[in-house]
Amino acid sequence: MNSALRFLIPLILLTICITGCNDGSDSDSSQAESAATTGRLFGASFQTMNNPFFVDLGKGLKNELEANGDRLVILDAQFNSLKQKNDLSDLILQGAAGIFVNPVNWEGLKGSLLEASRKKVPIIIVDAPVKKADEELIVCTVASDNVRAGELAAQALAKVNPKARLVVLHLSVNKACIDRVEGFKTELEQHPEMKILDVQEAQGTTEGARPVMRDLIGRYPDLDAVFAINDPNALGVISALDSANKLDRVTIVTVDGSQAGIKAIQAGKLHSTSAQFPQEIGKIAAEKMLAHLKGESVDKEVKVRVELITAENAEQYLESH
Amino acid sequence: MKVVRQMVPLLAAIIILLLLFRIWVPTFLAPENMLDLTQQISVNTILALGMTLVILIGGIDLSVGAMVALVGTTTVYCLSAISGDTQNGFYLLISILAGLGVAALFGIFHGIAAAKTAMPPFIITLASMLIARGCALRFNSGLPISIGDQQTILLEIGNGRLFGVVPFPVVIMLTLFVLMALLLHRTRFGQHIYALGGNREAALYTGIPVVRVEVMVYLICSVLAGVAGLIHTSQLYSAEPASGEMFELTAIAAVVVGGTSFTGGRGTIFGTLIGAIIIGILDKGLNQAGIHYSLQYIVKGAVILIAVYIDVRRNRQAV
Repeated sequence: MNSALRFLIPLILLTICITGCNDGSDSDSSQAESAATTGRLFGASFQTMNNPFFVDLGKGLKNELEANGDRLVILDAQFNSLKQKNDLSDLILQGAAGIFVNPVNWEGLKGSLLEASRKKVPIIIVDAPVKKADEELIVCTVASDNVRAGELAAQALAKVNPKARLVVLHLSVNKACIDRVEGFKTELEQHPEMKILDVQEAQGTTEGARPVMRDLIGRYPDLDAVFAINDPNALGVISALDSANKLDRVTIVTVDGSQAGIKAIQAGKLHSTSAQFPQEIGKIAAEKMLAHLKGESVDKEVKVRVELITAENAEQYLESH
Repeated sequence: MKVVRQMVPLLAAIIILLLLFRIWVPTFLAPENMLDLTQQISVNTILALGMTLVILIGGIDLSVGAMVALVGTTTVYCLSAISGDTQNGFYLLISILAGLGVAALFGIFHGIAAAKTAMPPFIITLASMLIARGCALRFNSGLPISIGDQQTILLEIGNGRLFGVVPFPVVIMLTLFVLMALLLHRTRFGQHIYALGGNREAALYTGIPVVRVEVMVYLICSVLAGVAGLIHTSQLYSAEPASGEMFELTAIAAVVVGGTSFTGGRGTIFGTLIGAIIIGILDKGLNQAGIHYSLQYIVKGAVILIAVYIDVRRNRQAV
């Protein structure tokens, strides 16, 4: 029994510690506490929280819901679709009034969507599409206009280098990235003198882009432009070009609008990024959910604006966000 | 009696955790929520059952997460290739056997490589984790393969309920638990496992068929991972080549929290079940109590540390 006590005492201390930490870590705790007692519970499950984009998206949701007197629990699926399924059933069984989902695997969500619709819990998908067959199970999807983001990138490039010989760094398993490249290519048809030399996979990360870009520099000595599908990718491209002393001869355009991306624009290393507005995606998704719960009808597909950021408006964009 | 006494702190921990979360989450102990808990832990528990045997003989299997993905993709790929848009029980059986067969091959390889070469199991299974993951990603260019709506038997495995109450994954988990408990605690093979983990040299000299036991243990671990993979795939309505990452670590955590010694030779199947339940309660409780996701990592890490610390202390007292 002695060892049982030894196990239990730290456990109890630990739980006390968690409760303490939890209350303390809520930045606006007074508001959260009053909401906790009165408001409805909403849940959000994101494929990862290890990306500023989703942190901002969550902030947008939370602000809007808490302003309405409700509260939001955000869960991190850690790129694990089974964890996402479990997280969602936890929220559903707890009686969440509505749930926001950014799917890890859009094929794998069906079981959770069925469970939610049986329990009449409305679901809004954020920053991603779902399968056509599953559309009737959700309220709507709210995502950036990724096709437009690709078009803006192509336009920006055409303005500075209408005869660009370029390469594309892709993440072809991701629907948002597929849309960006599609928009980019559609816009390129307006500029027949521009030529895509190659399309390569670069994982959407900085460390993924670097080696791929170094190989491309070797293979295409005359390349003078790059379209990278997001800011982290573009940062890897910059680093590769920099170490090959070719940065000043190559124009890089991308999509994202992260702090790091804008700083690279201000430093003259990156030409443009088509900025997304994750907080706005969150805010709009929350508004749609509240409208749906009031019985109003909601559009099935909501596109959130994107905006081209170059050296001209970088300062202004940073200040306003 | 000794086994029961060893389990007292773990059982007490379960009760305390349940009551604590009941304070935060009023609906926590509702039957539906508890039934959902058993369903949520099923995949991890099945992985942990196999992992217990491997750890008992002083080994480790890092490939079980990748095996989950590989068995799922192999099965669904075979099924859609041979049965097309129709449902056919016989074709399903063949596809499942193909999936589990692949897992069995990996298991046999692990066993032989571990027993016959000087390569450490950590490295052998690290390598085959990469190989199995790569094989899974070969299917459908790494994208999820959905299970057709007409494949109701396969979808039933992960989503159906026995008599409309008990989810099938729970039925499968409990059946495997009983089988593994009997195998480990009531057969000569089970005694051999403990002997092998306690002292390999001695086991060899007393005439225990060391190679055969080791191959069997890794084989069982891989095939159980395959079964977990089938449930996982069915629950997700699709086979996902990239899924199952880090599953091996959660399974190992359940085994060590359940009191199995990481150096082998000591531990029980019952302990592993309790370990998996504790981790499951933590996951569910922290989620439903609305604990920030960053704190969830910290708490789970701390619980594993505490559990293993107590185990190590108890072990020292016993010696």
